[in-house]
Amino acid sequence: MAPPPIVTGLSPKEGPPGTRLKIRGEHFGSKPSDLIGLTICGTDCLLSAEWKTSTKIEAISGPIKGTGEVIVTTRLGGVGTCNVTFRGYFLSSIGPLKESAVWVEEVSSWSRHSLSPSSFQHEDPLGLSIEENENKISEEDLQSNYPGKCGDIGSTNFSPGWFLLENHQATSFHDLDAGLVHLQRKVQGQKEGKLSFLKANMNSIMDQIDTLSNLREKYEKDLSEFGSEPTLKLEKTIKESEREARKLFDDVLARKDRAEKTRNALSVLSRFKFLFCLPCVIERHIKKAEYDIVINDYIRVKNLFHKTDVPIFREALKEIDKRIVNLQKKLHADLQTMPITVDQQKRLIRYLVNLEAPYDSAWDAIKSRSEYIHTKFRLIYDYYKSMERPESGKKVVTALKQSKLNDSQVDENVPPSCVSFTKEICATLSEIFPDLWKIGQAYFSGELQVKVGAGRQVEYKHMVLDVIESFCRYARATTVPHTLEKHHRPPSPSLAPPSRDDLAFYLPDLLRSVRSTYATLIKLDLPNEALDIVSHLLLDLRTNCMSILFQQTAEQIKQLNENWRISFAGKYTGISELPLKFLQLVEDVLQIVKESALSVELRESSLLDSPQAKKELEKQVDNILTGFYDVLDKLSSGEGFDDGDDNVPVVSQLIGSPMSTYKFVPSGQTCPSWEHRLLITLSNCLFARNTVMDAVASKFKETGFPSVESSIKSAKAKLRNLEKSILDKYLEQKSDPLVGTIEPSMYLGRFDWDVSTPPTDIRPYVKECINNLINVHAEVTNISSSLLDLVLPRIVETIAEELYRLMSCVQKFSKEGAQQARADVEALQEFFEDYSSENARAYFKEALEAVEGVQGSDRTMVDDILSRCRVRMRIQMLCLKKVDENS
Amino acid sequence: MAKKPTVQPALHKVIMVGSGGVGKSALTLQFMYDEFVEDYEPTKADSYRKKILLDGEDVQIDILDTAGQEDYAAIRDNYFRSGEGFLCIFSITEDESFQATQEFREQILRVKNDENIPFLLVGNKSDLDERRKVPLQEATDRAKQWGVQYVETSAKTREHVDKVFYDLMREIRARKMEENKTNNGRGKDKNKKKKRCCCSRWLGCS
Repeated sequence: MAPPPIVTGLSPKEGPPGTRLKIRGEHFGSKPSDLIGLTICGTDCLLSAEWKTSTKIEAISGPIKGTGEVIVTTRLGGVGTCNVTFRGYFLSSIGPLKESAVWVEEVSSWSRHSLSPSSFQHEDPLGLSIEENENKISEEDLQSNYPGKCGDIGSTNFSPGWFLLENHQATSFHDLDAGLVHLQRKVQGQKEGKLSFLKANMNSIMDQIDTLSNLREKYEKDLSEFGSEPTLKLEKTIKESEREARKLFDDVLARKDRAEKTRNALSVLSRFKFLFCLPCVIERHIKKAEYDIVINDYIRVKNLFHKTDVPIFREALKEIDKRIVNLQKKLHADLQTMPITVDQQKRLIRYLVNLEAPYDSAWDAIKSRSEYIHTKFRLIYDYYKSMERPESGKKVVTALKQSKLNDSQVDENVPPSCVSFTKEICATLSEIFPDLWKIGQAYFSGELQVKVGAGRQVEYKHMVLDVIESFCRYARATTVPHTLEKHHRPPSPSLAPPSRDDLAFYLPDLLRSVRSTYATLIKLDLPNEALDIVSHLLLDLRTNCMSILFQQTAEQIKQLNENWRISFAGKYTGISELPLKFLQLVEDVLQIVKESALSVELRESSLLDSPQAKKELEKQVDNILTGFYDVLDKLSSGEGFDDGDDNVPVVSQLIGSPMSTYKFVPSGQTCPSWEHRLLITLSNCLFARNTVMDAVASKFKETGFPSVESSIKSAKAKLRNLEKSILDKYLEQKSDPLVGTIEPSMYLGRFDWDVSTPPTDIRPYVKECINNLINVHAEVTNISSSLLDLVLPRIVETIAEELYRLMSCVQKFSKEGAQQARADVEALQEFFEDYSSENARAYFKEALEAVEGVQGSDRTMVDDILSRCRVRMRIQMLCLKKVDENS
Repeated sequence: MAKKPTVQPALHKVIMVGSGGVGKSALTLQFMYDEFVEDYEPTKADSYRKKILLDGEDVQIDILDTAGQEDYAAIRDNYFRSGEGFLCIFSITEDESFQATQEFREQILRVKNDENIPFLLVGNKSDLDERRKVPLQEATDRAKQWGVQYVETSAKTREHVDKVFYDLMREIRARKMEENKTNNGRGKDKNKKKKRCCCSRWLGCS
């Protein structure tokens, strides 16, 4: 809006009515038509106003008396303001010879003074200058002092007192006196003036009289010539000419009317044609799917005819409406026919809205979309259900499944139906759901130009949640069925869950699909409520995935087979591949779990934050460790080894000959003897306890799992017990026969300690005993020399105990017998020195004490025997010497 | 549009005096509207008022452009009374107009009864220097004699136009401030009302 106009200058600033005023200022508009109002002292002067420039207007003042503002009004600026004032005043009176721009009331003023023009020339009858008196006496005061009078000289009510007070209040007496003289002179002059005026103008007065009589003559002549009413004839003539003129134009006007009528008729015809052809046109356009045109035409025909009362038009309209209703139905059906893109739907909705279809089309579109998703889910479900049935129904397939180990490749190529089902349902959701969301957003943001129904927000939210929940239900049913509550299960029997191994194989993959769907949903900016449903599913899925993977590993661990091949690499000699395999399995599963379940993606919480998952993890770790323990336990218990029994009676004087240590098992696999296996298992236990468990623990930590310290600790304790029992078993196996042979060998050939034959050598039972120990030594070393310190001292101890028992049981020693016994015991003592425990040494000592003392030359004899024996059995001695690591 | 009742800026009333045709209206219109009016149209009494910024202070200037012609001499007294400052203008191309300034000065002093009334002697039409009839020295001398400033202006080129108005307003402002100081409490010295009888002619005849 333009600034309001402002008047800043007036030229002149005062004047009588009819004064031409130059009004100056600002913002008077840019063209004459901008000026729409002008008042001077409250009197409208627009009529006389003349717009010159944006700063200048000229106008003529109206009948104004008093001071006031000049207000300019412009079209754009409105009513303006004024800085200056205009003062209007009437000249004391206006005579017939005076120009005046306004109508002057004649009655009061001029009758008496008309012939005294001089009175107008002097503004003041006293000939004094007019007083510009600011503190004039007000009209009211004067009125009260001179009731019924006035100060106007021309008025009949003239009061000199009033006049003087009004005009000469401040004039000095002297001046007033002079004024009186002036007035007297003037009156006198006037009296003389009248007569002299007539005298001076005698001629012209005579002329006037002549002219008047001429006028009268002429008029009378006319009267006789034209009658008393001369205008009648004139009127007749005017009417005549009017008629003639009309004749001239009638023709043209008639033609113009005809043309107009024709044009109207044509346009009506074309309108009718439009109306009656419209059904066909509409059908044609519908066929071509040009709905825009149809809608345009329809709206046009509606505007043209919808108020008509003519039956045929109504009929035609009805026909059109029928077509349109059909079209609406078709569009509406199209709208709900899936699949359809969001843009197409939007377009259809727009058509329907334009056609004022009675459907809530946008909402229907949303509904149909959500239904479509549900249907699609069901279809996919049914499809896989039907795929599955023959598979599970036929026994061949079942058989195939049983020999799964051989056909694992086939299985990989054709994943179980529920796996593909889940994958497809994920793909479907991430493909279709965004459309539902998008159209929903468009609906609620008003993009579809549809009024959003009340409660639709809530309904839509339920719809979205419903879809997501149903998706989750399906996904759960196939992947983590145990997390579903009974009433949530799909109505029909769910797909057969695949075996655990399959599941373990496919779960990470499935997890990935669900995750990608989840990511799609997140990208859509769904409300948290909806996302949480999926995130719960994901959490369960991840937990399940982890648990299944661990279970599978536990299973695999249980299946671990010992091949009894000993690797001699590294610090832990004498271990087979079993513990390493175990470690490998654990590492593998940890890696997979880390990559799938444990990894945290967008908008997921850490799996292990969930207490449930944590508990599950602990359980599974325990399972794995226990599984491994069970494997070792089973191996050591000797169950399932048929050759175990065969070996026992073989124990004879020469235990475990090298030939019999390895047997050929039917599968072609070499299987070591029972004792070897015990030793290997023992060694494995040691290795597992000392190294593998720590490795597993550190691996867990490295992968980001919480500490599994307690599980490891308990597993270690278990292993320690197992070691002990294995060792006991082995010792039982070895030392029992070894010790048992001592007594029979000692008394072989009815030997009696009370003999008289002097001893020449240590007795064969001693040698046999030594040889047997060497044999055990060899066997243990064969597996792992580190086990020697565990095994030999205990055997030596039992030998020493047995020897003590036997010696103390001897009733009587002859001298020679005592010599013999001493030599035997001392020889054993010496040979076994390196592997003797405290107890063993004590037993040897007690055994020697049981033998009667040998003195002097007898003693020499024993020493002779021993020194001879040392030389002869040097190799045996070396065998049982502990090898110094440093040498 | 509701007008806010703000404190009205100070109003300085300036009166343009001088013989007819020296360019009083031209100076006024140039100052007010930046326009130069070529054609001559005798003024009766024009009134202009606008807001301007005087040394950073909003003031209103009210200019009364009077008639130069002798015909209107009788009504001048009234006008002069309301004036607070005067621009006495003559044309440097017309000696008579310069001589007439003496008369105007006297009339103003008589009406205002004040020797120190804000007053500027202005020699207009300085663009027509080649037709100069009033020597600069003479004008300067007269101004000095009166104790006022002398400025030569050109309504056509706008030379010194703003200067004369602004300088005069500064004088008026200084004057008012001084009066405020000394007149505090003292009643306003009413101008002595001197009546002049314009009908002495008649008296003389009698």
